[in-house]
Amino acid sequence: MSSPKPIQAINRYKADLRELQFLLFEQFRLQELLGKAPFENWGEEEIRSTLSECYRWVREVIGPLNAPADAQGCRIDDGRVKTPTGFQDAWKKLYEAGWKAIAVDPEYGGAGAPHALQVLIEEMISGANTAFAMYPGLAFGAAEVIESFGTPEQKHLYCGRMFGGQWGGTMCLTEPQAGSDVGSAKTTASRNPDGSYVIRGTKLFISGGDHDLAENIIHLVLARVDGAPAGTKGLTLFIVPRIRPSADGSLGEFNDVDVANIEHKMGINGSATCMLNFGDNGACLGWPVGGEAKINQGMPQMFKLMNSARIAVGVQGLSVASSAFLNALEYSKERKQGSAITHWKDATAPRVPILEHADVRRMLLDMKSRVEGIRALAVKLAHHQDQVRALTGKDEQKAAYHQGQVDLLVPLVKAYGSDQGFRVCETAIQTYGGVGYTKDFPVEQYCRDAKIFSIYEGTNGIQAMDLVGRKLGQAGGANLQAYLADVAQFVQKYSGDATLGGAAKALGLAQEALGGSAMRMLMWFQTGNVGMVPLQGNRFLEMMAETTVGWMLLQGAAIALEKKKSVAAGHPDAAFYDGKVAAALYYARNVLPGVEFKARLMGDEDKSPLDIADASFATV
Amino acid sequence: MKILVAVKRVADPENLNKIKLSAQGKIDTTGLEPKASPYDDYALEAALRLTENGTNTKARLGEVVVVTFGPKEAESMLRAMLGTGADRAIRVDATDDVLDGDLVARGLKALVDKEKPDLVLLGYQQVESESAQVGAQLAEYLGWPQVTFAGSIKSEDDRALVVGREVEGATAQLRATLPAVVTVLDKIVKPKSVQSKHTSATHAYPEGVRFAALMAIMAAKKKPLAEVKLAELAPDATLKVHYGAAELPPKRAAGVKVKDVKELVSKLKTEAKVI
Ligand SMILES: Cc1cc2nc3c(=O)[nH]c(=O)nc-3n(C[C@H](O)[C@H](O)[C@H](O)COP(=O)(O)OP(=O)(O)OC[C@H]3O[C@@H](n4cnc5c(N)ncnc54)[C@H](O)[C@@H]3O)c2cc1C
Repeated sequence: MSSPKPIQAINRYKADLRELQFLLFEQFRLQELLGKAPFENWGEEEIRSTLSECYRWVREVIGPLNAPADAQGCRIDDGRVKTPTGFQDAWKKLYEAGWKAIAVDPEYGGAGAPHALQVLIEEMISGANTAFAMYPGLAFGAAEVIESFGTPEQKHLYCGRMFGGQWGGTMCLTEPQAGSDVGSAKTTASRNPDGSYVIRGTKLFISGGDHDLAENIIHLVLARVDGAPAGTKGLTLFIVPRIRPSADGSLGEFNDVDVANIEHKMGINGSATCMLNFGDNGACLGWPVGGEAKINQGMPQMFKLMNSARIAVGVQGLSVASSAFLNALEYSKERKQGSAITHWKDATAPRVPILEHADVRRMLLDMKSRVEGIRALAVKLAHHQDQVRALTGKDEQKAAYHQGQVDLLVPLVKAYGSDQGFRVCETAIQTYGGVGYTKDFPVEQYCRDAKIFSIYEGTNGIQAMDLVGRKLGQAGGANLQAYLADVAQFVQKYSGDATLGGAAKALGLAQEALGGSAMRMLMWFQTGNVGMVPLQGNRFLEMMAETTVGWMLLQGAAIALEKKKSVAAGHPDAAFYDGKVAAALYYARNVLPGVEFKARLMGDEDKSPLDIADASFATV
Repeated sequence: MKILVAVKRVADPENLNKIKLSAQGKIDTTGLEPKASPYDDYALEAALRLTENGTNTKARLGEVVVVTFGPKEAESMLRAMLGTGADRAIRVDATDDVLDGDLVARGLKALVDKEKPDLVLLGYQQVESESAQVGAQLAEYLGWPQVTFAGSIKSEDDRALVVGREVEGATAQLRATLPAVVTVLDKIVKPKSVQSKHTSATHAYPEGVRFAALMAIMAAKKKPLAEVKLAELAPDATLKVHYGAAELPPKRAAGVKVKDVKELVSKLKTEAKVI
């Protein structure tokens, strides 16, 4: 018997740099923010070099490890997690190259880049090797928390080392009985006279909870101080290092944090998902983030930081979807099968590449429009963040507008990016046919890796609740109003356009349907029909995401049409711009009308999922 | 050691299949992103290795100057090379249509007279016309020793290099006194191909051309990038090479199937005339 084909250590990750440059410099005109505070060190040239050099880096360093690490997975050896072959070297190289420091404050050795660039760098790192990218991603997120809320001493001790890769980091929220319901956390914290706390409890599903990539791991642990109230109000966020450092950063004693086991999973197999026991021997110490004054402030702290973590997860979805699409496209040009439809009866007609079949073209354009639309959505969000940074202290009113749009768009990026990311990967497998289901091509792994994105960092069900329960009403509804007005303005400008007019009108209808549905939600709240809100939340989120994606695609198409006028016929840019227009028109014609339809369904107020008796779902 | 690396900017070599030919037989590279010719990238990597100790690549133990003949837009390529590690850059202002290998070699000679490097490194050829002229002509104009097809370079002291020159199926170890001109092959970026006098004999580099770190990309804009007029270097701009027309290689004709070995042998004898 022969053994199965070996898994090859070759890079399969692909990105379309032209598309990334289009978003940054043509659609969002990032250059207008560059060369002045807070981006005084950044110019167009640095951004272009960074994108192309990072792309070369991910393909050569972490891309080739993606499939082997998936096959190998992680293991526990002598009580410690061993990551897949090559991850240690990749970690070292990642921090030498500096990609994780891209948007970090220069105070901590970072390059202070715009978020719009950071998002695309993250897309490349995550797309080339999702499982690997989890470890530095969590270290970064944890460091950001300490940077935002830590005491000066905590920042001094932890931030530089965590942003620089000397120490790793994790976010420990989940417990066996506390998943979406974070407030049920039971991990306890008892104060010592010196201001430290004794931590005891078990955390579940902790990504990168243990690994062999850095000399220390800094856990951020949500725990309940003795006597604190029940629920989320009584939670405090603690810094719990695996090894206790002294103030100068030298490593001291082991802090009684043990990895009990790691999960066997559907995907991201190179990322260790750990059960951690804190204080089994009563010797685990933690320090509240921000000091004693921040007891019971764990949830507000987490909320503020959830924005960046949730954006990162939406971008994870985008990252694999994009490479899945580009790989499927390449394959569809090579695979010959069947003849052209015009010769379908002629058995001797030449076989054509599957790219020529209508149904394959449909799948490809569908993937293209979703991938590029989600990317534009993510860059739009990041661009709002950049403007918040640029305007704070100069024009508070405008800064507040941009912050409002950030808050509103976060659940869309997280939920739509992750849901659609998974579906695009699935469509990519379909495009390949049988080989797409095998490990000879990367898409089956993308699809398995992608499924988790809709679950962690707040399930997409929770995202929908965040949108309809918190975000729509924020600032008295002003953020939503500003959003709807922005869309309306675009619709007005392009409704008469020869090429985009029909699509702009479809966007207008979607916008009206969305606004009307938001009013309907409000009415349900006010009339005590609250059961309808969570039932329709997911649908509403999808409607709003589709409206925004359609808008962003059309905005890109309008720019592409203008730009194309000055491009010579045979120039590759001509085809590129045509592609932007085609993707926007496809989405406007095939997806946007669904928004109006869904609004109608909402109006029907179907309650069957609520009405059906539990016993009626099935007899087992 | 001071090293001058001469770099040609070419149409994206990874997409050469997208080159089109106009009706007049002119090569059309529109839309192909201009990049450094790969062998020149290898020359830069070799130059950096010769001016450091291998373990601490931030400590520069010599100077590397990159030079290209090209228009203003070529500066982004030079900036990228400064990000990779070169210390200084020079752009000789010119466009490809007023240049040939001979003029570039004469310009480089004048530049070398000014800069006085110990070594000039180039790719063994550029990937557009693949003529492999500039290095050899430059050495001739300078009257310097030259080694072509270098697969390895060791510098034991400041006066000479030991260069492994790839000849068919073997390597000739040549000792070249400095100053000299060396043109390099892709083998030059293997882990142990280049050793400066500061590198330990056991040091192995990662294979290939190093990555530019983010912070180095950011710092590159502060490194000097000078512009020089072509006329200052080469007052006589007469070209020796004149451009005729290009044509794509003929499509390969369909093969013939043979019945058996006997027929094959007979065809090889009578038709192909190879045996
Ligand atoms: C691979 C992996 C990595 C992870 N990494 C981390 C990590 O690093 N740190 C960490 O703290 N956690 C991590 N998690 C845990 C993850 O965040 C949780 O799985 C997630 O929050 C969901 O919780 P749960 O699994 O308990 O599901 P449950 O909360 O039990 O949810 C089950 C279902 O019920 C729905 N639901 C639950 N409550 C509500 C509600 N109130 N309204 C409507 N619907 C609801 C959910 O949407 C879901 O569909 C990870 C999980 C996995 C699988």
